[in-house]
Amino acid sequence: MQLDVAFLIDWGSAAIRLATPLVLAAVGGVYAERSGVFNIGIEGMMLSGAFVAVAVSYFLGAADPAVASLCAAIAAMLAGGGMAFVHAYLSITRRADQIISGAAINILALGLTNTLYRVVWGSAGRERVAGFPTIRIPILADIPVLGPILFDHSLIVYVAYVLPFIAAFVLFRTTWGLNIRAAGDFPLAVDTAGLSVTVTRYVAVVFSGMMAGLGGAALALGAVRYFTPGMTAGRGFIVLGAIVFGRWNPILASFACLLFGAADALQLRAQALSIGIPYQFLVMLPYLLAVLAIAGAIGRSSPPLALGRPYRRGER
Amino acid sequence: MEDGRHQTPELLRMDRITKSFGPLLADDAVTLDVRVGEIHALLGENGAGKSTLMKVLYGLHQPDSGEIWLDGRQITIGSPHEAVAHGIGMVHQQFMLVPNLTATENVILGMRAERRPMLDLAAARKRLVELAREYDLDVDPDAPVWQMSLGGQQRLEILKALFRGARLLVLDEPTAVLAPSEVGGLFRIMRQLASEGRGIVFISHKLSEVTEVSDHVTVLRLGRVTGTLPTREATAHTLATMMVGREISLARTTAPVVGTDTVLEISGVHCVTDRGTPGLTGVDLVVRKGEILGIAGVDGNGQRELVECIAGLRPVTAGTILVEGRPPSSALREPGLLGLVPEDRYEQGLIGDFDVSENLVLRAYQRPPYSTNGFLRWGRIRDNATQRIAAFDIRCPGPLAPVRSLSGGNQQKVVIARETQDDPALIVASQPTRGLDVGAVESVLNLLRQQRDRGAAVVFVSTELSEVLALSDRVVVMHKGEVMGEVPPDPAALGRIGEMMMGRSLESIDAGAVA
Amino acid sequence: MAIGRGYSLRQMLRTAAYRAVTPVLSVFLAFLVSAAIIIAVGTDPIVAFGSMLNGAFGSQTALATTGVRMTPILFTGLAVAVSFRAGIFNVGAEGQLYLGAAFGAAVALLPIGLPAFIHIPLALIAGFIGGAAWAFVPGYLRAYRGVSEVVTTLMLNFVAIQLVSYLVDPLVGPIGERGAAYAQSAVIDPAAKLPILLRGTSLHAGLILGLALAVALWILIGYTRLGFRMRMLGANPIAARFAGVKSAREIMTVMLLSGGIAGLAGAVEVIGLRYRLFDHFSPGYGYDGIAVALLANSNPLGVILSSGFFAALRAGANSMQQATGIETSVVLIIQALTILFLIFRPLRDWIGSRAGRPPRLAQDSLIDAA
Repeated sequence: MQLDVAFLIDWGSAAIRLATPLVLAAVGGVYAERSGVFNIGIEGMMLSGAFVAVAVSYFLGAADPAVASLCAAIAAMLAGGGMAFVHAYLSITRRADQIISGAAINILALGLTNTLYRVVWGSAGRERVAGFPTIRIPILADIPVLGPILFDHSLIVYVAYVLPFIAAFVLFRTTWGLNIRAAGDFPLAVDTAGLSVTVTRYVAVVFSGMMAGLGGAALALGAVRYFTPGMTAGRGFIVLGAIVFGRWNPILASFACLLFGAADALQLRAQALSIGIPYQFLVMLPYLLAVLAIAGAIGRSSPPLALGRPYRRGER
Repeated sequence: MEDGRHQTPELLRMDRITKSFGPLLADDAVTLDVRVGEIHALLGENGAGKSTLMKVLYGLHQPDSGEIWLDGRQITIGSPHEAVAHGIGMVHQQFMLVPNLTATENVILGMRAERRPMLDLAAARKRLVELAREYDLDVDPDAPVWQMSLGGQQRLEILKALFRGARLLVLDEPTAVLAPSEVGGLFRIMRQLASEGRGIVFISHKLSEVTEVSDHVTVLRLGRVTGTLPTREATAHTLATMMVGREISLARTTAPVVGTDTVLEISGVHCVTDRGTPGLTGVDLVVRKGEILGIAGVDGNGQRELVECIAGLRPVTAGTILVEGRPPSSALREPGLLGLVPEDRYEQGLIGDFDVSENLVLRAYQRPPYSTNGFLRWGRIRDNATQRIAAFDIRCPGPLAPVRSLSGGNQQKVVIARETQDDPALIVASQPTRGLDVGAVESVLNLLRQQRDRGAAVVFVSTELSEVLALSDRVVVMHKGEVMGEVPPDPAALGRIGEMMMGRSLESIDAGAVA
Repeated sequence: MAIGRGYSLRQMLRTAAYRAVTPVLSVFLAFLVSAAIIIAVGTDPIVAFGSMLNGAFGSQTALATTGVRMTPILFTGLAVAVSFRAGIFNVGAEGQLYLGAAFGAAVALLPIGLPAFIHIPLALIAGFIGGAAWAFVPGYLRAYRGVSEVVTTLMLNFVAIQLVSYLVDPLVGPIGERGAAYAQSAVIDPAAKLPILLRGTSLHAGLILGLALAVALWILIGYTRLGFRMRMLGANPIAARFAGVKSAREIMTVMLLSGGIAGLAGAVEVIGLRYRLFDHFSPGYGYDGIAVALLANSNPLGVILSSGFFAALRAGANSMQQATGIETSVVLIIQALTILFLIFRPLRDWIGSRAGRPPRLAQDSLIDAA
């Protein structure tokens, strides 16, 4: 394979495809952390979403793929949101440690999906199901190079294009977003302003779970269209890195995800390309970038001040 | 007597409010009655029940019994939201502002927007600027709160309350964070708001301010109302008696003592606060063996930073500090140099989960006899605890009791017992009597006197002027990070001390007096 | 930590009993919920759990299997427990384990003809150094820059896994065995292998090492100056600073120690069980360590019990699958539920009100102080 335009288009298109699940999950994760709750369980919520999406699509087998994938997406969001609700309950109402709660949810998700995977498909293993319909946007997709890279994807990718901007708008220009930012920075002010810190945080966390679930659906139904046990393979964790990299801004975090997706796509093609770099170093790259970003990000932008700290009214 | 007042309509009446937290009775049948257009001062020492009462008013706590009447109608206040809806605005001691949001965003937080859910920042900003101009309150609507000075944040808090149409404004210890020059501005606003028909509740423990600005005073002591009267009929003396319950005397136990060799030497020291603002701006001080130096001043004028610099907990950006000729970095690590009684005894001075014996060796555990060859000798640690508990009369179930189960006064005794164990050359006590009851205050002051008599150099930092004058051999006043001057601990010097606290240097005061 | 402190025997037994109640209750509830899931899938939970018990303890082979499974998570559990005690969240045990395995394997592969009693300790020391080295950067960032160690250690886990994958790559890896069917290193030098404890099984001396380490750490935390400093840091870092503790240095020490112990976990797996360095050889031992430490309330002696429990779960899972067809992944569900019940506070507070003092995790005081 040579480094030519065909390669560029292939790589660019793959980068976008691989980045999509990350972008969806990252937007949700930004909201959760902005409200003050650390959601390390994104990995488990993505995995649950992936499983549920494939299962629903499987059971709706004969239906119109567009309908099936829509139902699958909704089901995935419910699954992710449900797990996030547990995390929210433990972290917010019970004031348990957020890292541990999230970690437990990851293990729970792995156990549940592995178990239910066998129950549904037995040892028959993978069966392709209906995925998101692919849409090629006319005219735009004819632009040389950029056209095929950006405008010939499954539907969920276009959602991922738009979501970060909507999310940023809501976060910075609406009362809901203001409440979330305040709750993550100085919840006492939110409480004395007459708003509920609890409700605000619950909403943000459940939203992050729904987005993670949708990201899982994108992962499973976007390209491969089947479920493999443990298929998220750490993507939920790289999303955490993207959130920090993107300084808790939905748009910047999404660009970080795009960067990571590009690295992932490159890694998959590296061997055929015979660059001379073993593929493992390319797989490492996003994680290293995240660490460098965290290390270098000090003094530039700090996390929400109350991140990770449960809120109790009436404390000094 | 109170004829005129009876005729003014009643704005707020908190009637026989009682609130307890477990065994602690914070408010006992407290009645507070505020008239329209009145500045009503709520006076009392720390722990008298003022904050709890106001938290009840603001809906953060529910009273066990008692009623709240607003404009003659009985109401219940279930949450801060309801309080705001009733027109009650509160400026807390700790500001309820979100640091990373702008002033405008903070003001509109929680308010119903015109076109929900869209934020109408432009309109809010405009209204904020109008209000600021109307009341002559200088605030930058676009600045993030963390960049604003404490005085600016307080102005913003007041504007926040006015923005929501507050008719009753509660100010909780508002002058604690203000420079003396800003206090006048605050009082001006208070009078202006009152004249417009609002009611103001002004919480303070400072007699001078209460007499200066309020119309009516209610005094609380240990959860009960000990007196309520028009300010013009109150003298500082009667008020003080109501607050403390006995004659306050500034009488000393001994005459001021002169120290001998220099122990602590501070020359031209500058440092920076956590926020990056100037902390100390050129401090020169000398403290000698066998004397107590009292450092007075409004909280937040560099006292905290000075203590941290002496202890080596904060870097000095210019100048030198020498403790017995050693740099501050050795102060906490070498035995016998420094005993530090920190400002926040529970957060900074003790480890709540550890027991009394462990807390007593927090600084000494590395040395014999408490450890040998890297291993701790628990037997010795326990014996030491038994001995110190007896020597300091620390009331606790035993050396193995978790320190968080002790009362405040006994916790402070643990700290002092530990810090004085090695007979350090220098003792720095920062607000050591804060939050303690009268008996505990006396013990702490006596313990400090004993250390002075032993030959230690003692630095006593306190905002309680009466204690500073009663205990110290020399008094200096800090203002905006520097020492304004030194005076003997004479009640007659109160005037000069007050002026120094407001920023005038001793030279200019004396020069002015002469002229 | 209560021996020799002056408590009466009765007090110590009472405290130990109360400290055990919450974990035991959590486990019980987790099994209860899992039983419900098993019923839903159409099997008798008694039979399922019975076969699990049998697979874990029912025979000498079973016990050996449990012991083998216990060894790595005993080490990682200790590593995480040590960090928790000082108020640090080392979620990077997985990566430190891989680096320790790599370093240990590198030394163990050397055909230098040394006798076992020298070669083995060398390999172990190398493993410790490898793990500690991997914890160095996150430790430095936390100690000197105040950066949370959670995300940094987490990211480095994945880097470590890829690094080892490269090292044993059959095509390009420096220690990869060329032409092999799997990505693996060559077999280690026979002198570097840990002795087997029970003939005919895989149970190796690594378990003894782990038990000894647990006791050593228990002594360290409860009875040495370093341990006291660690506990100060974990209980109230602000007061620790005011008492003259150099928190930066302490944090580095704890992270290096914790990383090193996790590194030992990897080295021991290589020289005790697998005798080669394999690609992706860890099924998440580092993350299991977190659960193990949590269930043990970060007490090193408790870690022995909780790692044994989790190992029994895993060992028993296989026979449960063979006997009843229930997936081994049910064990993950039990593990997760145990943790969730453990951190569900009303449980602990209810028990605590009986004990007069709730059992506390090191990081509780950080949370409560907020």
